[in-house]
Parts: sequence; C-alpha cells; structure tokens
Amino acid sequence: MRNLQWLPLLPVAALSTAIAPVHAVLYATVEEAAKRAFPEATTFKERELQLTADEMKALPADAGIAARALRFRALTALQGDKSIGIVVIDAVIGKFDLIDYAVGLDPSGKLRSVEILAYRESHGYEVRLPAWRKQFVGKDKRDKLRVSEDINNISGATMSATHVTDGVRRIVFAVDALNGLGRLN
Amino acid sequence: MTSVQAQHTFRKKILPKLVALAVTVGLATTANAQSNEAQLLGRLDQLAAELEKVKTELKTMKEQQASVAASSPAGAAYASSSASSAPATTLTAYGEIGYSRSSKNSSATRTDVGRFVTGFQHRFNDRTKVVAELEVEHAVTSSSDRGEVAVEQVYAEHRINQNFGARAGLFLIPLGLINQNHEPHTFYGVNRPTVETAIIPSTLREVGVQVFGEHDNGVSWSAGITTGFDLTKWDPLNGEGVESPLRTLHQEGQFAKSKDLSFFGAADWRGIPGLRVGAGVTAGKAGHGTVGFAAPRARTLLWDVHTQWTPGAWDFAAVYARGTISGAGALNKTFAGAPYLVPKTFDGWYAQAAYKFRLSGDYKVSPFVRFERVNTGRSFDGVVPGQNVNAYDTESIWTAGLNFYVAPTVVVKADYQRYKIVSDSNRFNLGLGFSF
Repeated sequence: MRNLQWLPLLPVAALSTAIAPVHAVLYATVEEAAKRAFPEATTFKERELQLTADEMKALPADAGIAARALRFRALTALQGDKSIGIVVIDAVIGKFDLIDYAVGLDPSGKLRSVEILAYRESHGYEVRLPAWRKQFVGKDKRDKLRVSEDINNISGATMSATHVTDGVRRIVFAVDALNGLGRLN
Repeated sequence: MTSVQAQHTFRKKILPKLVALAVTVGLATTANAQSNEAQLLGRLDQLAAELEKVKTELKTMKEQQASVAASSPAGAAYASSSASSAPATTLTAYGEIGYSRSSKNSSATRTDVGRFVTGFQHRFNDRTKVVAELEVEHAVTSSSDRGEVAVEQVYAEHRINQNFGARAGLFLIPLGLINQNHEPHTFYGVNRPTVETAIIPSTLREVGVQVFGEHDNGVSWSAGITTGFDLTKWDPLNGEGVESPLRTLHQEGQFAKSKDLSFFGAADWRGIPGLRVGAGVTAGKAGHGTVGFAAPRARTLLWDVHTQWTPGAWDFAAVYARGTISGAGALNKTFAGAPYLVPKTFDGWYAQAAYKFRLSGDYKVSPFVRFERVNTGRSFDGVVPGQNVNAYDTESIWTAGLNFYVAPTVVVKADYQRYKIVSDSNRFNLGLGFSF
C-alpha cells in the first residue's frame, strides 16, 4: 500500500476545507417547512395545541397514543383571515436521537407535507428523502399510516422510518380530535 | 415575541408612560386653581393625544405577540429543539439467546447466549458524538471458556453539514445488509445469513478514518482508510478458515498490524421508497512486511452487491459477496499436507422473502424463507497435487421460519435450516433477541 500512503490525508483535507460554523445541523427551519406545506399562505399564526389525558383516552386505539396529555407547537396557515391549514411541530426518537419534524395538514385533516427539521442519527438519514416523505401526502386518519403497510419501510433505517410514521399518525389523530372539539378555530 | 417578552416590554416601556399620564392628570387638576381654562384644555388635548399613542403602541404589541414568529428557526424558538441539541448520553444494548437442535445428532443440541452487547452514545452537540459498544460472545470468557469480550465499535462522528460528515475510530465496514445493521430484530432467523458470516465476516470492523455523504437524490456513500487483514494469522490446522476465510484474518483493533492499510468504499441508492440497491468493497495488502513470511505481497479483496425491496408488508432481499486472497500460493506450498489452505476465491449469494403480518397491538409475525449458496474455497493457489483439494463444493442452505415480534425490537424466532451437503448441520433453531 506504499502508493496509498498519502490517502489518510484526504479526509483531513476534506474536513479542513469544509468545516462550517458550529451550529445545529438543520435541514429546514420551521418557517421553511410551513411555507413548503402552504405556499399560498400569507401569514402563519403561532399557537399551542393541547389535549388533556381524558381527551386522549377518547381517541381510537389505532392512533397508538399513550393516554396522557399531549402538547404540540403549531402554526395556523392563513390566507388573509381565512385558515387554510395547520403545521404541527414535533420530535420523535429515531434509534437513539431525536428527529425534529413538521407535519402540514389541510382543514379536512389530510396530510399536506412531512418535513424533517433536524436529524442527528449516524444511520437512517433516508427519512429526509423527499421521495419517502411524499408517501404521506394526501393520507388522513382513514389510512393506516404504518410502516410496512401503506408506508414503505427504509432498508437500514427501520427505526427512524417507523417512529416518524408513528409520530405523523399521532398528529393526524390529535388534530382530528381537536377539530372535533372545535378547538382549531 | 413571546408573552414573557411582551410583559417585560409592557412593564419597561408602557407602564411608565401610563404612570406619567396619571401623575400629569393629577397635577393638572391641582394646578386648575392657578391656571386659566384655555391652558388647561390645551394640556388635556395633549394628554389625550399621548393616551392615544400609548393605546396604539399597546395594540401593535399585542398583534406582534399574537402573530407568528414565522421566521424563528427551529432550535431557537421552542424548547423541544433547543433541548435536543444539548449534550445527551444514551445507553444501548442488544442480546441474542439461541437454542439449536440438530436433526441428526441430538447430543449436539446447544443453548447459547450468543451475544450480549451494551454500549453508549454520547452526543456533545448536534454535530459531534462518540459511539461505543462492548460485546460479550457466548456468555462466559475466561482461560477455560470459549467466550469472547470485544469492543465492537468505538468511534467519533462529526457532521460537517447536512450532507457530509466524518468518522474516526473502530467502526463497522459497510458491506452487505447485515454488517452495519445486525441487531436481532433487523434480520430473519435465529442465525444471520450464512453468506454474511462466511464470506462477509460480520461483524467486520477495523480502525480507521472515513468520510460519508448523504444526498437528497437517495445516494449515500462512505469511503475511508482502515487497518486491513493479516494473512500471517492463517492457521492451516484451524477449521475456522473453512467456515469463514476472512474471520481468522481480521484485526479488529487489537495491536493491528498497520504497515499495510486497506481502503473501503460503499454506496447505496434509496431513491424509490422501499428500494435499496448498493455495493461495497474493501481491499488492501495483508503481508505487513513480515520477515520470513512466504506471502509478503498477498492482497485481500472483498466486495458485495446487495438489494432490499420492501413494498408494503413484503420484504425481499438479495446479496452477492465475493472475496479474493491473491498472492498466497507460496504460503500454501508451505502448508502442503495440512488440511486447510488459504483460498484464492470464495463467494456466496442469497435471496430471501418475508411478509410482515400485524396482529393486535405491537404484535407482528413475519414468516420468511431464505435460500443461500456458499463456497468458502472456490479456487486455491499453490495446491500440491494429491495433497489438497483444488476447490470446495458449493453448499446450498434453505432456511424457513418466522420472527414473532412481541414489541418492535423484541423478537422470538423459530426456524429450520437444511444443508444439501453437510446434512449433519440440519437443525431447528429457537431464539430470543432484543435491542434498545
């Protein structure tokens, strides 16, 4: 391998030329995620969504949600004064680390988008891939929203794929419950 | 603006103005006796204008508070993200316990805590972390036991940006489907596929540095320099070399000979949801300039192509792996008469199909079937005619069974394995595996 002796310098060179300022590795800001979900929105209004433990118990078992109080940060998408949907911000554990993501839903509870905001795992970045996330678009609570059923698994990233999908399903049911309670208006 | 900020601004900016207004009104009333009416009215108009200004300011603030800080980046505006970028340590573990009953020789039935691995991951910030795993194989390790304690991984990872990063330390070489993802819930059957233990000696890890990339078009890749195999470790009397030629030659970070380094490169494409197509290669010299060694220029090459296709509940996978140890002919000549020579080429492939049924709750069951063809000595260099075989026969192995998931990462497994040539290996396996 004498002819390859200089090779160890490659990664060092790559690192030293590519080092960026130290801040979190973000794939999208909340603003970008909201605008991608609702490009037609004129403003976004911040709000907090909350369901009590009792309200959670009323959700169908299929939602896969523990019966405890749930709180999400959310943005209502507005076109003028009219609400055209909601973007819910959440985080799930992938395999070891948190994945921050944003879910856009239209007023009927149909999924508009799933955006990954921050991903920190060593393996499984593929949940970030647009083609994988596109599988959620148009689905709602009548769909299964489960990996290995209507959402294709990702080879080598099963945990991240499963947990993001479970998180999206939880948000779909929670938003539907809030809609039913008239608390999204 | 948060409500806390709004309250603060109200106290600091608006409240003093309101107090000043009240005091002025009071003073104005006291001064009434000494001032004329016109002056007083003028003063009142001025105060009314001030009051209007304060009201407008308050209204603007309330609107700002109500409307979104849509420009707030994740991580700055809300608690969950800022907390997630704080240092964090995660404890990890996985384990496998297996029972294996031979079909032809029941006295060979064994129960073994095959692996127990525990480790941690410590993240210093969103970009930098260390990962470490300590493995105990076969339950007990001592001078009179057959177990093994080993560091399976210990590396540092740094993400340069959202697409590129680097790792350094003892890490898994990205080959096949199993080597990097080998927790019990990730594969079917009690035992890992034979191709990925005999040809790719999973869990294959070496010490080195690597760079990796992850791209939105579905391509991910990694490449680096590591310690390589050490051919001087070959023992022509040890049958382990027949089971897996490279398993006896890997160095795994133990006083690893590093005169000759290896390089590796791997790439996967996952551009279509559910589909993965990839390949990996590692190559290098394995003689390390050892004085008096008969194969000083020997080279190793190990490569694979793999695919996995998971449409809905189906899970199809296929792997082909091939290894070459070249330049070992002179070494084999010194082994003339010994039972196990260094193979020149060895390879294998498998195809597997599984289906995932979701039962109630977290319960899932996945029946599967796998067919493998494996040859750990397809050809040899330096064979002395009449004393050694020129090539091994290719073994065919059928494995059929099911994984029963009692929780997403807790699995009970049962399968039957049938060997075409070495039918003494036919066996029924039962296993328990978990990971977190």
